[in-house]
Amino acid sequence: MSPYDSATSSGGGSGSSASSSAKPSEIDGLLAGAGYKVRSSDLRHVAQRLERLETAMVNSPVEISHLASDAVHYNPSDIASWVDSLLSELHQTASMPSDLPDLPDLMVAPAINHTVVSDAAWTDQDAPQQLNQFTVVTAMEEDSGIRLVHMLMTCAESVQRGELAFAGSLIEDMQALLTRVNTSCGIGKVADYFIDALRRRIFSPQSVCFGGSGSASPYENEVLYHHFYEACPYLKFAHFTANQAILEAFDGHDCVHVIDFNLMHGLQWPALIQALALRPGGPPLLRLTGIGPPSPDGRDSLREVGLRLAELARSVNVRFAFRGVAALRLEDVKPWMLQVGPKEAVAVNSIMQLHRLLGSESTRNSPVEVVLGWIRNLNPKIMTVIEQEANHNQPGFMDRFTEALYYYSTMFDSLEACTLQPEKALAEIYIQREICNVVCCEGLARVERHEPLGKWRARLGQAGFRPLQLGSNAFKQASMLLTLFSAEGYCVEEKEGCLTLGWHSRPLIAASAWQAVPDANSPLGIVNHHSNHNAL
Amino acid sequence: MAGSNEVNLNESKMVVPLNTWVLISNFKLAYNLLRRPDGTFNRHLAEFLDRKVPANANPVDGVFSFDVIIDRSTSLLSRIYRPAQDGEPQLNIVDLEKPMTAEVVPVIIFFHGGSFAHSSANSAIYDTLCRRLVGICKAVVVSVNYRRAPENRYPCAYDDGWGALEWVNSRSWLKSKDSKVHIYLAGDSSGGNIVHHVASRAVESDIEVLGNILLNPMFGGPERTESEKRLDGKYFVTIQDRDWYWKAFLPEGEDRDHPACNPFGPRGKILEGIKFPKSLVVVAGLDLVQDWQLAYVKGLEKAGQEVKLLYLDQATIGFYLLPNNHHFYTVMGEISNFVSSDC
Repeated sequence: MSPYDSATSSGGGSGSSASSSAKPSEIDGLLAGAGYKVRSSDLRHVAQRLERLETAMVNSPVEISHLASDAVHYNPSDIASWVDSLLSELHQTASMPSDLPDLPDLMVAPAINHTVVSDAAWTDQDAPQQLNQFTVVTAMEEDSGIRLVHMLMTCAESVQRGELAFAGSLIEDMQALLTRVNTSCGIGKVADYFIDALRRRIFSPQSVCFGGSGSASPYENEVLYHHFYEACPYLKFAHFTANQAILEAFDGHDCVHVIDFNLMHGLQWPALIQALALRPGGPPLLRLTGIGPPSPDGRDSLREVGLRLAELARSVNVRFAFRGVAALRLEDVKPWMLQVGPKEAVAVNSIMQLHRLLGSESTRNSPVEVVLGWIRNLNPKIMTVIEQEANHNQPGFMDRFTEALYYYSTMFDSLEACTLQPEKALAEIYIQREICNVVCCEGLARVERHEPLGKWRARLGQAGFRPLQLGSNAFKQASMLLTLFSAEGYCVEEKEGCLTLGWHSRPLIAASAWQAVPDANSPLGIVNHHSNHNAL
Repeated sequence: MAGSNEVNLNESKMVVPLNTWVLISNFKLAYNLLRRPDGTFNRHLAEFLDRKVPANANPVDGVFSFDVIIDRSTSLLSRIYRPAQDGEPQLNIVDLEKPMTAEVVPVIIFFHGGSFAHSSANSAIYDTLCRRLVGICKAVVVSVNYRRAPENRYPCAYDDGWGALEWVNSRSWLKSKDSKVHIYLAGDSSGGNIVHHVASRAVESDIEVLGNILLNPMFGGPERTESEKRLDGKYFVTIQDRDWYWKAFLPEGEDRDHPACNPFGPRGKILEGIKFPKSLVVVAGLDLVQDWQLAYVKGLEKAGQEVKLLYLDQATIGFYLLPNNHHFYTVMGEISNFVSSDC
């Protein structure tokens, strides 16, 4: 009888969530509560690996230093794979010590399957999503502030019940109350925006939704986006995290093709072009396909951006080709428009675009399924997905409203630290547009359908993608850049291979990377408009 | 001689359940990577490896949580845990800071462990522990995200603890019976050390602390005590790592007689004759610093202060992180009695 047996009689039971699927081995529920995923049946094996690692590390300060500073760590929640990756790092840098003490329980273990196949069973454990994560970042001492929030909730509730007359009268009361509250910061400012959004929903939804961000010209949207980019680090984080992952995915490839789902001013790409220029062995041929809305006034703004990027690429000796694809909506893009070549390594880059596909009522062949389907068929080396970390796509209005109030309160609070004008003011308008869409619009007009990471994991897993893990090097780079460029209070967190950026412990934006799962039944290949044959 | 050069893992395996062994060994290995010999700390890797959880305003098992900013200038955050009222599944912002009832509701200010360098208020292990404390003590728990060493040495952690105490004491919505906030201080490892020092500072103010709870508190001194020599390297902890953490926390050039480390040592403050809170001190029988912890208890006794020692023979560090051993339940019961005996 091994030493462990007697000690485990009361211990590590099965997972606390009653999972309906009949998995042969449950995840240890107590370790799950500590943030780790280890199958109960694997505990002994993991313990042996930990022992082995400790033995290898002892007496080796050089090894420890190497593991700490040079090795890249991934997904610490998966203790088994983390320990194994450290062990293999050690084996690469030093031979096993010949005086390894005898560890009777140690067997020659079969190689652990490191591949990061999205284990749907483990994703289930994520399923009880923590909704309404809330960070109160402003002191809510003001009675007026508290009363405003109370009235906002009551108003939202009446809107949900269809009592628009009552809701309207509450708007008037709230606007009166606003005059007694400081609206330049804190709860007053947030309340101001939400009262405004509710007012529009009650009195003039058409002006928001069917003019909406459609009534704002693409040019206006670009300007607001650019100022949001400058005022706070969310988009910068998105760009450099995605670029780091794309750079790694392109390693060893001579022909690479980036497909950007929302080109805007192409702010993301100079850094990637420069990084590729500096690549050991020289830069690849880089093609960039930028998707964006058509310009109404006859300009070809996509092409203008492409020309500027081509200038930059030329100046650093990177062979570069650009193509613009004008489409009002992502679902209007067809894969043949992207002209992906058979020998290219493809990266698909989606920054806050996928959620816009969720608005359809149909469950079969919904836009998101269609788009994910053709992305998968392109067999990209990597798909980078950055999304708002929020649950703004719930069917109930109150739920959405409450979640948005929490989420945007935090985001506005983070913006307080910004002193740049007019960046800050325009960034607020950018955010206000999002708020209005979430609060005022319904059906196809509501495009800001943010969903949290757990839901995207499930959705992408079902669509045939598996996660590529973002590691400690990306984490460190993101943290360091934040320290350099942003106010204190922002924090990067690692969550099972993904990175989130948040303000004061509330994650606001999540970055993840994906790859298509090879599947014998639906072969991956280039889809062209002549046939669906696998081109490989 | 059991020193840091010898790996002796067999003994620790005998005394804790397997999942606890995996958890604490995992921490030990990770922490070995983070402490650099030159005294610096690999903070980026530490934050990457630490498992964190967000606050959750939706009650889970009867407890909901939210984060507050106590001091913007130092980015001092705390996570507040409250028991959910029955029949109130959906909470909105207004409820989070609703004043409590006329009954006594203890408010426990909690300082997480990590030897002054590791962990945060939103670390998963501490979020879980604080949630348990809410249920067991029917209390509100305020978990303080104090500044850590070596980037922030003494007295930053104590200053943050003091700031949190002042903040808690002045929240009208934390008041209960007799229109006052019923405050207890609790902490494990370095958090236990912070409890003592914040309580010491409180006696000089008009803020009343009703009780101190110290779980495996982190104390030390210049000498090597018998327990340190006997247990070095045997149960997850080494003398060498303890030395490193003190060196990282104490002001540069100081030794372990500094009162922060050794409150009843030659440089410590006299506690005789002052109104110090009653204390509950939990000592794990396999913790190598137990001689210092026992000396702390003796120091309180000699100063005429009320202290209860709970000595757990076969307990190691971190036994309270998972509810899979009888020490856990013993301690939780004691804490519950300690906090409710004032009602």
